[in-house]
Amino acid sequence: MSAVDRDEPVAAPAKSLPRPALTVAVPAFLLVLTGGLLLLGERMAPGFASSNNVFQLLKIGSFLGLIGLGQTLVMLVGGIDLSVAWVLTGSAVVFTAVCSSQDGNTVPAALAAIAVGLVAGFVNGFGIVKLRISPIVMTLAMNNIMLGATLVYTGGTPSGGVSPVLRDVATGGIVGVPYMVLLWAAVGTFAIVAIRYSRWGRRLLAVGENSRVSFLNGIANDRVVIGAYVICGVTASVTGILFAAFSGSSFLGMGDQFVLPAIAAVVLGGTSMFGGRGGYGGTFAAVIFTTLLSTVLVIGNISAGVRSIIFGVAILAALIAQRLITRDQDRD
Amino acid sequence: MTARLSRLVSSNWPVLVFIVLLVTLIVLKGRFNGFDARSLSVNALPLILIALAQFLIILTRGIDLSLGPVASVSGALMSLYVTDNPALGLALPLVAGLGAGLLNGVLIVGLRLPPIIVTLATMSIWQGVALVVLPNPGGTVPSDYQDALMGSFSSPVIGLVTLAVWAGLLTWLLGSRFGLSLRAIGSDEAAAEMSGVRVKRTKIIAYALGGLLAAISGMYMAVSMSSGSPVVGDGYILTSIAAVVIGGIPLTGGRGSPISVVMGGLILTITASLLYFAQVSSFYQSLINGLILLLVVGAPGTREYVAGLVRR
Repeated sequence: MSAVDRDEPVAAPAKSLPRPALTVAVPAFLLVLTGGLLLLGERMAPGFASSNNVFQLLKIGSFLGLIGLGQTLVMLVGGIDLSVAWVLTGSAVVFTAVCSSQDGNTVPAALAAIAVGLVAGFVNGFGIVKLRISPIVMTLAMNNIMLGATLVYTGGTPSGGVSPVLRDVATGGIVGVPYMVLLWAAVGTFAIVAIRYSRWGRRLLAVGENSRVSFLNGIANDRVVIGAYVICGVTASVTGILFAAFSGSSFLGMGDQFVLPAIAAVVLGGTSMFGGRGGYGGTFAAVIFTTLLSTVLVIGNISAGVRSIIFGVAILAALIAQRLITRDQDRD
Repeated sequence: MTARLSRLVSSNWPVLVFIVLLVTLIVLKGRFNGFDARSLSVNALPLILIALAQFLIILTRGIDLSLGPVASVSGALMSLYVTDNPALGLALPLVAGLGAGLLNGVLIVGLRLPPIIVTLATMSIWQGVALVVLPNPGGTVPSDYQDALMGSFSSPVIGLVTLAVWAGLLTWLLGSRFGLSLRAIGSDEAAAEMSGVRVKRTKIIAYALGGLLAAISGMYMAVSMSSGSPVVGDGYILTSIAAVVIGGIPLTGGRGSPISVVMGGLILTITASLLYFAQVSSFYQSLINGLILLLVVGAPGTREYVAGLVRR
């Protein structure tokens, strides 16, 4: 059964809109918790809640936030992408190698790096949709392939460097607001609106909610799903470029730290693992919450082991809370 | 004749792939003695045990990302206590593993939460616990354990026997009533429920057994290194899934045999030494593993897809 045969655009059923109560309640709850963390941080280290410091924290969170955007889209269609770690690293490595610290090379280098994510995302989507490989296995294999390809390409040591222009974008700001935060806010707002109100967003949710029904409604499921993986790959590439610019260089394994926190943030934000429910607003709030939580724990001199335990317990608590809240409406 | 042959090949192909790889290795290396057989079986053992644990859970259509860190915790506990108090040092890791598995099972079954995200959370928790228990690699495991469990350097017997025993145990388990229930749940949970399978209990037991097997794997790792490490299991989180899949077992549950899992683990282990002896840079290892993985899971879908294109 192939869905590309019929791609006459027909509006998705209205039922597939996210449940408004939950898509607002979850981010709101997370932001309340975040406020609590801010107060706690301020008590432990005066100046923590100052606008300057908050912007710095948001800047750090923006990279996870961008990765989380791709992951949100993929999970909305009922998938998962474990390959972002090495798609990110591979793209960053390509970027620094092509750019070699020259401002003039920024654009071609960025295009080359984004091509990496585009191709990886398309192959992921194609394998999952057309060859019916399970998303976990497909993206796990892609992660291994990108890891190997990156090692072979670099010979073990990434070369080149970031252009000064991009370094300024990733680290600098305007009137105290980091460019990264502005970028994240713009992209995030666009994503929230697009998922909820655009025709594309409705299709995304419809496919995730019930792919059979959406197919019968004339939605080209295959394209929607492949598109989600392509966007996820591209966001991984863009994050890789920006994170390399932020760090001053690319390094092997730079993407590993983002994968599981991004998945955790998407789920904490109320997007269902089974697709069709949620949005970027929740992910956005969850990224801010987890970034703040880990910072507060670091300030509180909590050891890495205990931090990891608290992080796990927080995810579990959020999951259980969501399950209890949605218990009545989620009896299917 | 050809149909029978192709059926034979397609149902046993992980074994065939392994044999081809093994023969290639022997040709490249020019020898395969007791030492080689021992190192292959001993190196593959921890991965195979975790993969078998993963397999039990995958049979029910679940997945467990916490198995690797559970192994780390168990190995750390063993290396801390076994020298002074062997009984405690052996019991504590097993209890920890069983408890970790039970926790996963209760959360996933009791609250109907998605396995991947529950075990993602417990993965983080056990990674943390391992770091708290044993902040740096250390502890000791007396070398007697190594001699007893893995044999001396040139004797392959104990290593191979251990593998065979585990494969046999799991095969027996799957043939039992419990195993039948497991496979029934993976094939069709609702139908299994209506046929009188105790779905919830069986699934929880699957996760608990998975935790127990992961703990045993962690103990093997501690024994083979004569010490513990808080991060030793992290490398197995995704590799264990890869081993199951390379054994030809679908993640949709209900199908597969322990022998296939063992072969999957052996294939992943042997490619590493193959690359070494073929003088290929180890950089290619994950690239090749990824391609093997895709080849295995993509083959049937690709055949259908190409057939669909031709028909059109």
